[in-house]
Amino acid sequence: MTSSSTEGGRRKRFDGLVAVYYPDMFRYAAWLCRDRAIAEDVVQEALLRAWKALDSLRDGAAAKQWLLTIVRRENARYFERRRLETVDIDNLSAAQAAMLAEAPNEELADMREAIFELDDDYREPLVLQVLMGYSTNEIAAMMGLKQGAVLTRLHRARHKLMDSMADE
Amino acid sequence: MSNGEDNKFQELDLKIAKALQIDVPPLVMPELPEIDDTNVTILPVRRRSTRPLWFAVAASVVLASSIALRMSGVFTTDGSLTGEVLAHLDHEPGALQVTDIAVSDEQLARAVPARLATFSRGDALVTYAMPCKINGRTAPHLVIQGQHGPITILLMPEEKVAVAMPFDGDNVHGVIIPAGDGSIAIVGPREEALESIRADMLESVTWTT
Repeated sequence: MTSSSTEGGRRKRFDGLVAVYYPDMFRYAAWLCRDRAIAEDVVQEALLRAWKALDSLRDGAAAKQWLLTIVRRENARYFERRRLETVDIDNLSAAQAAMLAEAPNEELADMREAIFELDDDYREPLVLQVLMGYSTNEIAAMMGLKQGAVLTRLHRARHKLMDSMADE
Repeated sequence: MSNGEDNKFQELDLKIAKALQIDVPPLVMPELPEIDDTNVTILPVRRRSTRPLWFAVAASVVLASSIALRMSGVFTTDGSLTGEVLAHLDHEPGALQVTDIAVSDEQLARAVPARLATFSRGDALVTYAMPCKINGRTAPHLVIQGQHGPITILLMPEEKVAVAMPFDGDNVHGVIIPAGDGSIAIVGPREEALESIRADMLESVTWTT
């Protein structure tokens, strides 16, 4: 096989993965950092890193988790590089406010704001479970937690959301 | 949980799922560099640290070790070893993967050939095992799952170090520990305590070179 055909096959494989998982990568990044513009930067960095490391992804079935783990690390790197403070819900940037404002109805907007207000520790496992479909075992492994800790966080996250929605 | 409560949570989850489905902007693919496909695991790209103070400390330790080694004439490693270890992680996504699926004994044996070393996995959940190279020398690369994420173990039978060399990278910290005529690099998430892993590794590895 020639080098160019190898490169072509590699690119084709990468494009195939990105086509399938880009929406998940973006949404995960957006809910981690709560800012669409930053999420776009994080995903760009993650795509570059994934491209460079693609040859070592041998198990295609693990691609989604692999990509999301790269997004998670890139998000942490992004904030570490910029030493950004966590988002203050009362002092949203235009980009952050826009993320909440795009909801098509009031109930959805309220729920988004309630999720937005959750601590990172609660919001992330909720996104991984409800949006990404991971089991508590898988979430525990991704976040480096015990399964019991994940269950506790998910339980508290849901109760906080119920309380927030009841207050609306 | 009662049926009523169950239904309440199901309704809530539906609302959460809808709320999380934010619009996704069109994909803008970054400019992708050409990849040298000869062996991506040994590209000597440096990992940029965002903690210059820590990196400076680590670099000082490496430099001091290097000088001591050169003066002694016994050890062959150079000051770039910690950098090589960190750079290697950037090209090994297996080191990022979180899984509870252990590698088979056959995979482990391929990664850690008997001519180099024996490795006893003990209680460790070994989820990745590949024969890699550090500084052009064979270095079996293993990943075990720690309390806070995957931990990379690089067995370096030909990289002798005189003293333990701690170092720090992006979101990770690590140490290269002396092990007989070679050394072992251990790199994990910053929150991970590496002390007990150091002890376990020294017990688990025996060089056969």
